[in-house]
Order: sequence, then C-alpha cells, then structure tokens
Amino acid sequence: MTAIDRPMLDRELKKGSAELIILSIVESRARHGYEISRLIETRSGGQLKFHVASLYPLLYRLEERGWLQGRWVEKAGERRRRFYRLTAEGRRVLASQRDTWKSFVTAMKLITGVDHA
Amino acid sequence: MPDWREHLRTRLAPLRLTPTREAEIVDELSQHLDDRYEQLRAEATGEAEATQLALDELCGHDTLAAEMRALRQARTPAAVVQGAPRRRPLPDVVQDLRYASRMLWKQPGFTLAAVLTLALGIGANTAVFSLVNATLFQRLPVKDSERVAYVFRGTSGVFSYPQYATLRDHAGSFEGLAAWGGITASLHAGDSAELVPGLIVTGNFFEVLGLSAARGRLLSAVDDVTPGAHPVAVIGYDYWQARFGGRLDVIGRDVRLNGHVFTIVGIAPAGFRGPQLGSATTRLYVPMMMQAIMRPPRARYSGDQNPDLLRNVSNSWLFGVARLKAGATADRLRTELEPVLAEFYRTQMPPAPGVKAPRVTVLPVDDPNAGPRPQLRVVAAILGGVVAAILLIACANIANLLLSRAAGRRRELALRLALGASRGRLLQQLLTESLLLSLLGGLAGVALAWLLLEAFAAVPLPAGAPALLDDVAIDQGVLLFALGLSTLTGIACGVLPALAASRPLMVPALKTTGSAGGDSGRRFDIKKAFVVAEVALSLLLLIAAGLFVRSLRMAEAVDPGVDVDRLVSAPLGVNLLRYTRAQGQQFYEQIVERAEQLPGVESATVARVALLGGSSRIFSIHVEGRAASHGRDASEGGRAVSGSATLVNANVVGPRFFETVGIPLQTGRRFDSSDTAAAAPAVILNATAARIHFASASPIGRRISLNGPDGPWREIVGVVRDSKYGSLTEQDVPVAYLALAQNHETGMTLYVRTSVPPASLAAALRREIQTLEPNLPVPEIKTMSESIATSLFMARLGTSLVSGFGVLALLLAVVGVYGVLSFSVARRTREMGIRLALGAASRQVFLLVVRDGMFLVGLGVLVGLGGGLLAAWALRALLYGISPTDLPAFGGAVATLCGIGLLACVVPARRAIRVNPVTTLRQE
Repeated sequence: MTAIDRPMLDRELKKGSAELIILSIVESRARHGYEISRLIETRSGGQLKFHVASLYPLLYRLEERGWLQGRWVEKAGERRRRFYRLTAEGRRVLASQRDTWKSFVTAMKLITGVDHA
Repeated sequence: MPDWREHLRTRLAPLRLTPTREAEIVDELSQHLDDRYEQLRAEATGEAEATQLALDELCGHDTLAAEMRALRQARTPAAVVQGAPRRRPLPDVVQDLRYASRMLWKQPGFTLAAVLTLALGIGANTAVFSLVNATLFQRLPVKDSERVAYVFRGTSGVFSYPQYATLRDHAGSFEGLAAWGGITASLHAGDSAELVPGLIVTGNFFEVLGLSAARGRLLSAVDDVTPGAHPVAVIGYDYWQARFGGRLDVIGRDVRLNGHVFTIVGIAPAGFRGPQLGSATTRLYVPMMMQAIMRPPRARYSGDQNPDLLRNVSNSWLFGVARLKAGATADRLRTELEPVLAEFYRTQMPPAPGVKAPRVTVLPVDDPNAGPRPQLRVVAAILGGVVAAILLIACANIANLLLSRAAGRRRELALRLALGASRGRLLQQLLTESLLLSLLGGLAGVALAWLLLEAFAAVPLPAGAPALLDDVAIDQGVLLFALGLSTLTGIACGVLPALAASRPLMVPALKTTGSAGGDSGRRFDIKKAFVVAEVALSLLLLIAAGLFVRSLRMAEAVDPGVDVDRLVSAPLGVNLLRYTRAQGQQFYEQIVERAEQLPGVESATVARVALLGGSSRIFSIHVEGRAASHGRDASEGGRAVSGSATLVNANVVGPRFFETVGIPLQTGRRFDSSDTAAAAPAVILNATAARIHFASASPIGRRISLNGPDGPWREIVGVVRDSKYGSLTEQDVPVAYLALAQNHETGMTLYVRTSVPPASLAAALRREIQTLEPNLPVPEIKTMSESIATSLFMARLGTSLVSGFGVLALLLAVVGVYGVLSFSVARRTREMGIRLALGAASRQVFLLVVRDGMFLVGLGVLVGLGGGLLAAWALRALLYGISPTDLPAFGGAVATLCGIGLLACVVPARRAIRVNPVTTLRQE
C-alpha cells in the first residue's frame, strides 16, 4: 500500500480532492485510465495511488456529471483505449475547485501552523 | 497473460448493467490490468506475483461494485427471471402489438363479434347522447346567462304590451325587461317572396340578452320610439348565410316585409337562433313599434278593426325576458313583479268576482325547465335510457367474450409463465391486446356514431319543426365516456381473469388437454349472470318498442272523423297583407269559388284552425241562464283543451265546411245562407261539447257566449259528430264552430274536397291562389294524409328509433347466449363424448344443452318482465289506445326473445350431438 493511511485517503476522496486531482491530470490533454493512475502515482512521488476499483468508478462519475468525456480511440496495431478529456464544464469546475482548495490550504496553514512545523 | 475478464464480470454482475455497457467496462478495465501486469513483469516480478498484484487493484471482491453502485448506468431495473431475455420496454410494446394483431387476426369470429359489439355500444351511445346534449343541455348563447331569466304570466303565459310596459317600469331587481312576440313575415327580396319566421322585439331586447351584432348594428332604444316609424330589420346569421350568401352589401339594403319597405341594418350574432332553445330558428327581428304591420292581431282581426296591439290591455302575445341585477334572485324579482301585475289587473282589466289576478313566474334561462319543450325531453330521456341499456348489454357481451377467451388461454399463459415470462410481462401483453381491441371497437364506434348522426340529420322534418339538428357534432366527452367504459370492461374481463387463472396451479392447467381450462365445478358462473342480464335488458327494450309500435298502430287506426283521402289544404296568410274586412271577405269568396271550378273538385271551404294542425283557439264558454263561475279568457296556439266545462275549442268556418271535410250533422242544421252578418249569431257544437254542457238534453235553441258572461249570445243551431280537432290522439275535445260570415277573420286555411287523387290538385290550386293574389307567399299545399303524417311524425320517429335499438339489443343478447352456450359446449366436449359413448341418445344430449340455454333465457325473461312492467308504467303517459300492460306488446316481446333465444341454443346443441365419442376420448 502507500504511505498514506487508507481510511484517511477515502475521506479525502469524499471531500472531493480526488476529483480535483483527476481533473488536473487531464487538464493538459486527454489521457487513458492507466496513464492517469500512473501520473497520479509519479506526480505525488508515490504518495498517492488510485486502485482500479476506485479510479474507474470516479472517472465514470465525472463523465456522468459531464465534467469529463470518454472516447474510445483505436490506433493501428494497438488495442483500443478509452481516453478521457476535460469538457468545458469540467474546466470551469476545475478552476473553481482549485480556488476552493487554495483557500482551504491557506486556512489550514494558518490554523494548524503546518508550514512552521 | 492472464485473462481478467471473468474476474471483472463476476464483480460487475450484481450491478446488472446493460450488456453493452458491461462489455465496455470489462474491456477498459482488463486493458488497465494488462498494462499493470506488463509493467510489473517489466520490473521483473514473477508471473504469479504479478497476477496477484494486478488483481489487488480490484481491492477485494465487492469494492468495484460498491463504488459503481452510485452511478446512473448501474441503476437498471432488476431482471425478472433468470434466463429471461432482458427487458426493452419499447421493442416489447411493438412486439406485443404485433402479437396482439396476429391473435385477433387468427380469431376473426371473436374479433368481429367483439369489435361489432363495442362499435354498436359506443356508436349508438355517442350518437344519441351527442344529440341529447346538443338539444337538451345546450345553453342559451347570451352574455352572463346566469343573470338572464324568462318572465311569464301565470306559469308559462304571455303578456299584453301594456302589461309588459307596466312591469318594465315598476320593478327594480332587473337591469332591463325585454319582450318579444313571434311573427311570420312575407319577405320580398329581389323577385321572390317567402314566409320567414321571425320575432318582433322591444328596443332593449338585444341589450338585455347582452348580444352584439355580427355585422352592422342590432335593434336598440332608438328603434323603439314612435309606432310605425322604424322600418328597420335585423336578420339572423344563419339566414344571412343561407339566403344572402353572407354578403356584406345586405346591410343597408331595402326589402319588403308584408308589402312594406324595411331596411336591413344588421346581422344577429352567429350561434344565436332566438331567445328560446328548441324553437324554430329566428330569421328576422323587427322593432316592436312596427307591430301594426308586422304582427297584426290574429284573432278577430280584419282591416277595419284597430290593429294596434300596443294599447290593447287584454290581448296577450308577448314573452318576457329580464336581465337581473348582480345579486338579485329570480324569486326576489317575482315578489316584486306580482303586486305590479295584480295592480294592473285591478285598475285596467278587473277579473270576475272570486277570480284572482295571475301570478308571475321568473325562470332563469339556464333552468332545465326553461329549455326545449318537455315532450322533447321525454323523447330524449327514453332514447338515452335505451342506448344506455345497449351499452350495458354490449359491455356484458364483451365481458363474456373476453372471459371465455381468457379461460381458453389459461394453458397458453401457464406455459409462458413456466418458460420464464414474468407476470408483469404477461399483464403488459394482455393489456395491449385489450386496448387494441377497444381501439378498434372505438374507431368503428366513431364511424357508426357519425353515420347515425348523418342519418338523424337526413330525416326529413315536417315543415315548421325546429331545426334541432343544426351543428350536432360528435360529443367528445360522451365518446370518451363510452370508450372508457368499454375499455375498462375489456381490462376487467380480459386481463384480470386471465391473470388470475394463470396464478395458482400451473401444472393442472398445463395438463388439461383441451384449449379450455375447467372451472366446470363451479355452480355460479359470472358469464351466465351476464347473459341473464343481457336477456333481461333486451326484453325490456323489446317491450318498450312493442308498446310504442302498438300505440302508433292504434293512433294510425284512429278515425279522424273527416274524409282524409279526399282533402287538400292550403294556408292563406292574407292577414299579412292587411286586407280590409271587405277585401278579405271578397278574397275568401273568390278563392272558394275558383277552387270549386277546378276539374275534380267537389266543393271547397275555409277554416280558421287547420284540422289536425296541432294548434287550437280556446275560449271560455258560458251558457245563458247559468251562473258564471269563471271569467273571460281566450288563447291561441296551444294544445286543444279536453273535457273542460269552462273552456271550449273554437273554429271559424266558411260555407259548406261540414260537407267539404266530411263531418256529418247529428241534429239541427248546418250553417247556411241565412247566417249573415245581420242575422242572429249562430253556433254549432260538436257532440262532446253538447254532452258536456247539456248532457242528454237538446242544445238546439239554447244560447252560449264565447266572450264572457255578458254575451254576445249565440244560438246553437246544430250538433255535428265528433272529429279530431288538433291531433289524432286527443280525446274528449269540445268544439264550437262559428260561421265566417258572422265572424270575419283572416288567416284562414283553404280546404278542397276532390274526386281525383288529392295530390294531383296541388299545382292547379297554387296557380289559382297566385293569380288571385300575387303578393301572397306561395302556400304549402298539403293533402290531409300528409297533415296526419306530420302530426304523427314524432311518434313515428320515436317508435322507429326505439324499435331499431330494440332489435339491436336483441341481436346483442342473442350473440351473448350463443357465445356462452358455444363455449360451454366446447368445454364439455369430453363430457358429451362420454355420455354418448355410455349410450345417451343424441336427443338427450341435445335437450341437455338447449335446457341449459333456455334456463338462462327464462331467467332473463323473468327479470326483464319485471323491468318491462316498470318501464311501461313510466311510459304510460306516452301510450295511446293501449294499457301499459298491453298483452300483445308483452307477449310479442317475450315470444320474439324466446324464439330467437331458442335458435341461439339450437346451434351449439347440434354441435354437441355431433361430437364423435371416439375422437374425443382419444384426445385424452
């Protein structure tokens, strides 16, 4: 498993940070599920890891909300893959979630003094 | 590389995704696991360990499903039965429809019977109730009709103009009180004259009704100022369309009304056909101030008498209509008006001692009693009852057809259940079938309703009958009701029993070899109850039809007391021309003379009241030397009085009247040349009048007055045999005949007695009348038999309708009896086979079936007889010449029903004895 406590990660997911993470990952371009999971792992320095069982349901949920759009893409000599890209709506949500998150982090820093620890 | 698909599928299974979606997810996730596996292998992990690590991504068995469950795509309804094809609602409906059509197509007998039954029930009801709604429940199309009320003298009487004017000026609860009188005007536009029904109305008439003109202007207060100075007219919308083609240049155009020039100033609003529903459509409205020209007094009027009814206190001819003030009630208005009218009587026309001034009735126009004439309502109520009974019979029939069919399909349904169909799925399919059937029946019903309405509209109405059938369209509410009822019946009897039958014991149902499941153990069978009800209802209708037919036969067999076969009549509306007395006398003398000179004419005469024309003139009668118990009264136009000791029907007749029409003299003498204007007034009574007033004593030489207790007195010079005066079905009608020479009147009808076929004389007569008086509108020349046919028109129409529907009901009931018996025979084929195999004679089996059927018929007849007696009692007022328990009517109905019922039993019974025991038993 990972360095982060699983129950705590679940709570974080519920709080919506997982959504923010995924939206950020596909912001620059469309990516498929495995790529997303790899990027989360590498960019967090191995601190965060999404399993298949939680990643895909999340992707489908974001798709149902209209924030992501998934599309099967076939390339010659390869199996088809499903790519997810950010929709206009998703881009707006991402911006707003970033703001919220920034304020939240700032507030957390002010209160807990985590920075100075 | 390991195959992840199975791992994924088992984890996704609880979600019941659509197959397509599930395949996609499996594809995507196994791709991910492949990538992961390859990566692990690239990192030199062992095969087994790499597989395990990849599978760990799924976090145990249930996590994936748990995470997915919140998604919309995971929310598909539960599949019903394992192995059953997945539900796809829309394709299912299409499939059901196709299956249902195929089932109906494969059972043409059943389908035809059901659709026809539905069509008859729905069609007959829709047509009749559309008609009833349109005629009886229509509202007068006036503004705020809840505030508009008719005002009558007494219960339904009319006012004189001075009475009206007094009431108008002395009450406060209305915004306005208007009055109108009926007129028939000779309208001359272009080169042809015609008689048009119209109204002469007060200036506030249209304002009180709250109407505005379709074109031009309506009559108003400015047209109501000076007698004789307002020659303007408004024409009805329908007449404008029909006679003037809806042309706008009609407004401002001059026409001749009764020979005087009038200007048409406007068109009444579309849809307004007059202030009273159910009366003839009004074509013309003229101002009250033009009364002397447009509505000369009819009774005793001749040009040298005062034609001014606007000052005549006692000649009543005006109907009143008021618009109440907001918040005022009809009752308050009545209590205001009554003292005013009483005061008018006290000061202007004191009644005889002990006689009270009449009361006033205020009847809101929306009141059911204010609508079309009561007898029309009776006809409508009867027709409504008849078709409602037909709808019930039709529903019972449908119920039986479907119940039998449902029982027959038990095996099919049980089989489908056993093969994994859900009950919901079966329900959907049965519903589809039932609705499809109702839809077909409904469509056929609409077509039938339309045809019936067209047929009603095409019935030639006798002249002067109100145009009731204008604008009658299929009433959507009624259609929906009839359709809804039969659909409900279809669902209740087609779907529920089938489902119930499929529920409990699939195995026995599957075991039954025949197509019919057995409920033969039950004694009570709802289907039989339905048949009994059907038979009872149709017997009731047959009895009613029988009574009407018998009653009509009796009326047709009545001797009118005149020579029907040899008489021709022609109304001479010269009062419209305002002849002077001398001109009028001369005209009548000349026309009689000219008519008598025509070849084939034996004699000719004139009479004031047309024979059998349905109207009357009524006077109070006083016998000289007897105390007066009543005042002076006179009225015209209503039904003849019968059996009255104070009132008598009168007729003014020309020379040779009794010889011409064929009424024999009993005692005394006929009018002759000695009865001149200068001679003592003479009167001839009919036998009934003589009996009422003089019992067995001879009335010859006695004197009576028709003008009140103070005379003038008229000597009775003769008594003639009774003849029918107003209608064929009247009885006990006293009549007094006066001589035209002593009582000059206008508005006479010419009667000609012929020795050739009467109809052949019409053209010649018309020519003579036109030659003598070209300004007279072309009269309607009728033979006496035509007049009688007209007087029996409503009775004929009603009788044919009720009889037609009675036959229909009989047919439906027969189909019901036949259907149930056939079904029962089919169900008992095996029993019959065994009986025959064990030695039962064909006759016994035959009788067994017939007895079963006739038992139901008999039961229905008993119930129906009870209902028939009640119906006959309710209809007794409409019957003529027979008692409500008329044996031929009842006997005929019962015999017809039993006979046809027996026929319906014989067919299935013959089928029962043709059962081949060997074949039947081998099927087991």
